[in-house]
Amino acid sequence: MDPQPVRFVLQWGRRYTLTVANVGLACCAIEFVAASMSGSPLLHRSLAAGTGTADLLVISGTVTDKMAPAVRRLYDSLPDPKFVLSFGACSNSGGPYWDSYSVTKGVDQIVPVDVYVPGCPPRPEALLHGVLTLAARLDAVQDIDA
Amino acid sequence: MTPDEVVAALGAVQASMSYDDIVVDVPREQWATAVTAARDDLHLTFFDFLTGVDLLDDGFEVVVRLWSLSGRAGLQLRTRCPRADPTVSSLSGIFAGADWHERQAAELFGLGFVGHPRLDPLLLPPGFEGHPLRKEFVLTARVEKVWPGGKEPGESAVEAAGSRRRKHLPLGVPPTGRP
Amino acid sequence: MNADEQDLVLRTASGEGHYPDAEPELPPRARGAIGLIEENCTVCMLCARECPDWCLYIDSHKEPLPPLGPQGRPRVRNVLDRFAIDFSLCMYCGICIEVCPFDALFWTPEFAYAGLAATDLVHERDLLGEWMASVPEPPALDPAAAPAPEATDAAATERGTAPPR
Repeated sequence: MDPQPVRFVLQWGRRYTLTVANVGLACCAIEFVAASMSGSPLLHRSLAAGTGTADLLVISGTVTDKMAPAVRRLYDSLPDPKFVLSFGACSNSGGPYWDSYSVTKGVDQIVPVDVYVPGCPPRPEALLHGVLTLAARLDAVQDIDA
Repeated sequence: MTPDEVVAALGAVQASMSYDDIVVDVPREQWATAVTAARDDLHLTFFDFLTGVDLLDDGFEVVVRLWSLSGRAGLQLRTRCPRADPTVSSLSGIFAGADWHERQAAELFGLGFVGHPRLDPLLLPPGFEGHPLRKEFVLTARVEKVWPGGKEPGESAVEAAGSRRRKHLPLGVPPTGRP
Repeated sequence: MNADEQDLVLRTASGEGHYPDAEPELPPRARGAIGLIEENCTVCMLCARECPDWCLYIDSHKEPLPPLGPQGRPRVRNVLDRFAIDFSLCMYCGICIEVCPFDALFWTPEFAYAGLAATDLVHERDLLGEWMASVPEPPALDPAAAPAPEATDAAATERGTAPPR
């Protein structure tokens, strides 16, 4: 178990330098692109150079049953600590395709999700709000530990 | 390209209009020859799509749309096959693009395409059972989830569950619940 | 790049004018969340029936009301127990708002309600009532249009010329 001062630094470092990778599966990916190209300081320097270095995986779009194993493999290939943000109705719960024969009803069926951003699609600012919500939770975790 | 020219080129077929496309109904035995004639004699060299339609007791309909780049005109060819024997000739030898369209129609409708090199599933996950675009395929999520609109105004969930009044079924759920 | 393009790059990279330091400029009919006016809801269940995602959860019961006059019949009223919208399923189509005959549902442009659990995205009627605070004003009526039937009826009632009920 890490000694407490080290954990404090780790959480603090994580909060301000979340490296983000997008799993762009459908329309929500367009909104992610809009957010990442907007120049917002929350995201624009944080895009992962290849998913091997990502802290935060943003699942944007419909997860089909055929694509689900690939998303799981991608999540498994990331080193800890890693977080998942589910972006949009399709990855939250299946969304408009809740009754489909080939859609995974929510990416939380295959990976653990830390933040859910509602919308169809959510605004780019909603993505930033979701990232801030996650950062606040990391802060809260740090407060509990410290 | 007029409907008369199409009928003359393809032999005895029924021709009609659907928006800007000419639509012809072709007997199953002449499927491959009609499509070849459409490509060679009518210069419909662009293969747009091939799909199926589930007509319940009338069997299955296979629809292919071809487009003429020079004449800028579209032609839809349709053929029927009975439900007991849902096969037609494959068009993959005539249009290479028909290969994947026929694989998709085969897995979604359960159609057979005689002469297709490899009718493996294309889009559905491995281990999927059934043919989802057939009309008797029930979407299980609609059967499992309790329809929130099934309650009458002023009825609580407990009353609705215990009520013996004939229930208002949601769309897509057959009366028996499961097939 | 020219001076305008340089300006744009500097402005966007500076962090000013970006969420969360500044709120985005939203178009007039932006769809974010759905607000509920509970008093207007008669529990007709039309929104729950028409929702394509089955994401409106409504529970209610009947309560009796006294008759209107000495010859009146006893009346019955539907009372809402639960009105919830599951925003993890909602696809923001607006069918529930369009179909409501009693103007109980409204669009609001609020978008910042991400949740740490999927259940956080199920908004019950208190929260749906709070969303009403951010519902924008409706657009002004066309001055050249015919007056609305509600307005003419109200005016006739005041004058005493309304037809008897």
